[in-house]
Amino acid sequence: MQNQQMPQNQQRQQGQQMQQSQNSNQIANPQAGQLPKVKGPEMNDRDFLNDALSTCKYITDSLNIAVREASHQQLHADLLQMLNETHQSSREFFQLMFQNGWYKLEAEDQQKVNQAHQQFSNYSSQFPYPLQ
Amino acid sequence: MQTNQVPIPEPPQAITTKDLMYLKDAMSWELLAFKKLHFLAEHATNQDVKQALDQAGQMHQKHYQKLLSHLQVNNNTVLSSLQNAQQQQQQMH
Repeated sequence: MQNQQMPQNQQRQQGQQMQQSQNSNQIANPQAGQLPKVKGPEMNDRDFLNDALSTCKYITDSLNIAVREASHQQLHADLLQMLNETHQSSREFFQLMFQNGWYKLEAEDQQKVNQAHQQFSNYSSQFPYPLQ
Repeated sequence: MQTNQVPIPEPPQAITTKDLMYLKDAMSWELLAFKKLHFLAEHATNQDVKQALDQAGQMHQKHYQKLLSHLQVNNNTVLSSLQNAQQQQQQMH
């Protein structure tokens, strides 16, 4: 485990594990022990990443419209590349937050996934094209 | 209005009114983004976080410069060469 060498973090980790046993569908890393336990009003690294991520999200939304509205081919291509790179950058922020335990995911109940798969598989009767 | 206009095969490399609006908008977001990311990187404590913020900041500055380069066009030249091409084609027809 990543932060076994940090004893001051044990309590937090145990708390996290208890949470995980309560909700077995949760997918998350233990929080890295670099944030103060009781957070004050000052911005911390997690806030910084969240802020960076929301800036990136805003820019991808806006660039998407600019791509759609671009007149000539070169402008369209350049804006599209910027949009793609900004998506990649957002993804890196997300991954970093996930690694630090600042992003929790929740797996859906398998039964509901199966149900949806069944439902949408049945719609194949409506397919106009032959099945590949 | 020319009635016998030759078709223009694709949009010429002119910056349209709409293009300029979006370019100015995009450059404003990008400028704010990389100034902010640089500031955040300076104040972050974790090295990985610092590096990620700085990398993103550099990317947005690059994007700004790319957008700016699209304003280095001469719409008059583009338009007159378009007109010349039109006239030549019309004479051929």
